[in-house]
Amino acid sequence: MRWATRRHCHVDRAACAWLIRRFIDPEAEFVFVDDPEEVPVDATPFDMRGVELSHHGGDCSFETFLRRYELSDPVLWEFAKVVHEADLADERYDAPEAPGLDVLLRGLSMVRDDEELLALSEPLFDGLYEYRKRALLSGREPA
Amino acid sequence: MPQRTPWVLLAYRLPRDPSTPRSSLWRKLRRLGAAQLLDGLAALPLDARNREQLEWLADEVVEAGGEATIWVGELGSMGQERELAARMAEAIAGEYNAVTEDVAAAREDRAGRQRRTLGRLRRELRRIRARDYFPPPERELAQQAVEELAALVEEPVG
Repeated sequence: MRWATRRHCHVDRAACAWLIRRFIDPEAEFVFVDDPEEVPVDATPFDMRGVELSHHGGDCSFETFLRRYELSDPVLWEFAKVVHEADLADERYDAPEAPGLDVLLRGLSMVRDDEELLALSEPLFDGLYEYRKRALLSGREPA
Repeated sequence: MPQRTPWVLLAYRLPRDPSTPRSSLWRKLRRLGAAQLLDGLAALPLDARNREQLEWLADEVVEAGGEATIWVGELGSMGQERELAARMAEAIAGEYNAVTEDVAAAREDRAGRQRRTLGRLRRELRRIRARDYFPPPERELAQQAVEELAALVEEPVG
């Protein structure tokens, strides 16, 4: 399937792309556009104004994906808190790793294009998922 | 000629009731450091992040049954621009002053309490810096005060 989002990806879009590949559509292809009107007809748009898979009711797009695809894995919801705070920093959640993730992804987006950003952030998000999973299972921060 | 600052503006109208979306929007605009130009018109210096954040807020207004549009523009004269920047700098200076005052109040506290205050003020300083577009001199003073508190906390008990 093809998925479309805005060019110059930051943390929410990168995390959504990771989520799509890992949990929704392993064969996903991504298209980057400047304007919602450029979304190809066969592509599903996300993290763009006015589309279903975007910010809603104070949720970031990653949280919307979890709700719309009924992904109830509690580790993903722990993950979502970090993405939400890295993207919006509205202090809805306590996620101390968020400012660091924001800086790392923002910096990466300055030196790499969108394709590379998604490829490079994938193992980072795999690691964050694993970390949050171990933390949830053991009830403490893993080392 | 000096370069004008481009701005991104959110023009919005929200229903009076319920009041929750209104206060949530107000809180988020304040966190971003937006200047409230009129009731229903907020402005931020234009960059990719500010523009995106205001666009999400525009969507929230629409979802709450209101109307919202995003504008990009500049002020009509350098004088008006200076005035707006000065107003924003003054507002943020008040926030830095509050940090400086909290440091002064913590000077006589016990070390444990000072350490907690230090953590809180460092986070607070980071939040203020993120919405500080026209840094006033108070910024440097607040940073120095927090560093002094850090030195005090680090001092070995003699």
